Amino acid sequence: MLRTLKLLLPALLPSWRFFDVIGPSLRIQFTLLGTEHETPYEWQEFRPRPTQLSLAKMLKRMVWNPVWNESLFLISCAENLLEQPTRHDANKKETINENVNENENEILTRIINELKRDTSTIPITAATHLQFRLLLVQRQGSALQQKVSFHSRIQPLSAQDTA
Amino acid sequence: MSLDDAIRLTEILMGFAFAQQSIEHLKSPSNERRLFIPRLLLSILLILGIQTPWVTALLLLLAVVTLHRFQGPYNGGADRMSLLVLCSLCLVLFAPSQRWQEIAFGYLALQLVLSYFMSGWVKIVNPDWRSGRALCDVFQFSVYPVSESLRLWSQSPRLLFVMSWGVMLFELLFPISLLSLTSLGIALVIAASFHFANACLFGLNRFFWIWVSAYPSLLWFQHRIFTTT
Repeated sequence: MLRTLKLLLPALLPSWRFFDVIGPSLRIQFTLLGTEHETPYEWQEFRPRPTQLSLAKMLKRMVWNPVWNESLFLISCAENLLEQPTRHDANKKETINENVNENENEILTRIINELKRDTSTIPITAATHLQFRLLLVQRQGSALQQKVSFHSRIQPLSAQDTA
Repeated sequence: MSLDDAIRLTEILMGFAFAQQSIEHLKSPSNERRLFIPRLLLSILLILGIQTPWVTALLLLLAVVTLHRFQGPYNGGADRMSLLVLCSLCLVLFAPSQRWQEIAFGYLALQLVLSYFMSGWVKIVNPDWRSGRALCDVFQFSVYPVSESLRLWSQSPRLLFVMSWGVMLFELLFPISLLSLTSLGIALVIAASFHFANACLFGLNRFFWIWVSAYPSLLWFQHRIFTTT
């Protein structure tokens, strides 16, 4: 009940602080691995944005925009992950926060689902495991800086429910 | 606009916004479809005006389950506004008297005004927004621009400076538009165009539909406060 109230209150008494501060921005990158112990060396951005988007596609997205909205949801999950103890810290304490697990699972599941759905762009036949990392992009002066802020666990591709 | 007309129009517009959101989940994993197929059906009932009090109550129940499923709103501010419109409408439809109906619907109108005014206020107190730097940052490295070509807008600081001040002044001055029906009508057209631009440039399509669904409450509110003698 308390949790329900905690979830409902920000909607019933909104703060309306849209875009008040433009902070560091997150990117989700993933890598496919042949074994659980393989060292990742090539990271790919998850759902890179297109170079151009025509007006017709923009208009279509007014009513049908599930992929973009899912990507924004994953960014929220990623932000939640960073608000919790990092995996590195969690390992030190030998406890993994439940919220870290839920957000991490959400991102892993959706990346795997996407890869299985669209094998034409990224063939995953040789891969058995997947890992993602979070990249923080921010402006320092006039230049952009990138910093890796989180590494997920290494997830077997076959263990995820893709229902 | 009369209270009854405004309520009915809100039901239809919110039903459409909810149907649009729900349709986007139809290709999701089955545990999500289980939430959004009933939501789609309830939204259609709402549009058709069938048993609207009970339909909104069920939609609210479903919204709470959905909040738990995603550990919060799936789509940030748009989902929060959806909940606000839904809760207000639910209270209006179950209110014991017209006075309570007006209080619940008036609350939605007030929050709609605040949604613009507060957004303007938090921007104008930030030096980065006043200089146009914040909007440059949005285009340069935030997650929102829908294409790489849009990132090039960050190289037009003068344009973004003008856009920043345009947005801030509009949001801050929005409450003044309540003084007449004509000025409110103009303000709502500009506001809807602003949401439309955000949908095109940043992919925030759900914001457009759900914010528009709250506009009838403001049209009624303006009539109730400033026109009723």
